[in-house]
Amino acid sequence: MPLPPASGTGRYFAKAAKSIRLLRHGCTNRPFFHISVTQRRRPNSLPVIEQLGSYDPMPNMDNEKLVALNLERIKYWLGHGAHVTPPVAELLGLAGFFPIHPRSYMTAWRNRATERENLAKEAEKAAEDKDA
Amino acid sequence: MSLLKLLKNNTRNVLIKCNESQLIFISSRKLSIVPSSYDGENPAPKFFSSGIQILLKRLTRPDYAKVFRKRSNSNAPMLETPQYKFLTDEELQIEKEKANQSADRLLQMPPVVKVHEPINDVLSKDPALVGFDSAKYLFTDISFGVANEHRLIVERDPDGILRSCDHDVRKRLNQIYFPMLGRKIREPLIFADDEKLHSLLDRQKYEYVLDRACVQYEPDEPKFQKVTSITYQHIDTNMQYDLLRSTRHFGPLAFYLTWHKCMDSLMFELVQTGAIREAVLLMSLRHAVHGDLKNGADSDALGKQVLTTPVQLSKSEYLTEEDIQLDNKCIECLDAYIVNNSTMKSQQGLALQGFREYYQQMVELSRGLKKAHGTA
Repeated sequence: MPLPPASGTGRYFAKAAKSIRLLRHGCTNRPFFHISVTQRRRPNSLPVIEQLGSYDPMPNMDNEKLVALNLERIKYWLGHGAHVTPPVAELLGLAGFFPIHPRSYMTAWRNRATERENLAKEAEKAAEDKDA
Repeated sequence: MSLLKLLKNNTRNVLIKCNESQLIFISSRKLSIVPSSYDGENPAPKFFSSGIQILLKRLTRPDYAKVFRKRSNSNAPMLETPQYKFLTDEELQIEKEKANQSADRLLQMPPVVKVHEPINDVLSKDPALVGFDSAKYLFTDISFGVANEHRLIVERDPDGILRSCDHDVRKRLNQIYFPMLGRKIREPLIFADDEKLHSLLDRQKYEYVLDRACVQYEPDEPKFQKVTSITYQHIDTNMQYDLLRSTRHFGPLAFYLTWHKCMDSLMFELVQTGAIREAVLLMSLRHAVHGDLKNGADSDALGKQVLTTPVQLSKSEYLTEEDIQLDNKCIECLDAYIVNNSTMKSQQGLALQGFREYYQQMVELSRGLKKAHGTA
């Protein structure tokens, strides 16, 4: 089935709440996301109002994750009071468009902590091996 | 028919096999060309100035038989039958005007500009984001109607720094989201592998290399200038200028040689083939770019006179008195250049002497003809 146009074919109610969210478009074991604006209280399987970008969470051969954002249309929908889900807010924060999302700081801090623990464990192991 | 084909294929195989030892020889040979790019003074103002553009276009010596030749039939499933029409003079004029316009479009020269500066623009530093991800995040603004060079493309590095992307990344992302026909995301092998490029150059596929470089690179990229400068120098050392005439690449070639003050073998070729007026145009190009010729004012004046005459695609068999006058002036002007500024004095002097003798014969012949016809 071909993808719907980026301008969207979803039904659109002016006063209903809208949300900018990630929609999974990949296949099994290969996630790929569209950043889309949809009616907030509607299943993700329905056509969207508009596609605003894309996000590829799997790093490419240069170890990069690619994000495309149609900032002009994002601003438009934000101006119309669209709600932004946390994953999208995190991406926009990393892009420098929003303030950094608190959850990004939390992830960073947790990752650093695990790395420290792992290093400590390795050091311990190395010391034990030396003793033995 | 099929037998013939088989034979052809086989002979090619045999040839390839015979050439294998030679091929190794070719590939192991290194070309001693040092690429140079426009990284000092910006050449763009001079290249785009109208006087120099006119000179370069004239030096291209556009031959419409070559400009409009069929270059490939890859896009056409079958050849079109030519159309023959009876036209009145006015209609013919209109058709010629159309042909001129489309030739101008085909002969548009790739711009000669300075190499771009690297982008080093840190937007924000956030050390609290260290460890968020081991991969880089690249953000591209895909808003409608923004030109590739003005598109907002930023990256968030694993160390939490948000910065503008450099040119190579920008180019890759632009190609991913807004692909350009014929441009590859990974560098094609002919540019990535020096041996492949040199083998193409040795086979004198200059136009192919330059066309391909124009599609693959932007004119202000260092790689573009490297590839083109290698090609230009290869053409210069082998004196194969004719392969680029009537193509869009001759102007940049002439400009490159003039800019680096090594246009003397081009000048030599022009004198040798008897294109004496174009040699004067080349002199005035040199004077317009560097302004270091002793008789620069003379060559400029003469060049303006030459520009009013039509392009000489072949040697004219019949000379009018004005032609003779103009050519004699050109010879004098060139003589002064060879004495004062040339780096190939003896060769160019000899070539000019040869041309003089040939020209004398031509003049006598055409004057004799005139007399015989009783028009003198």
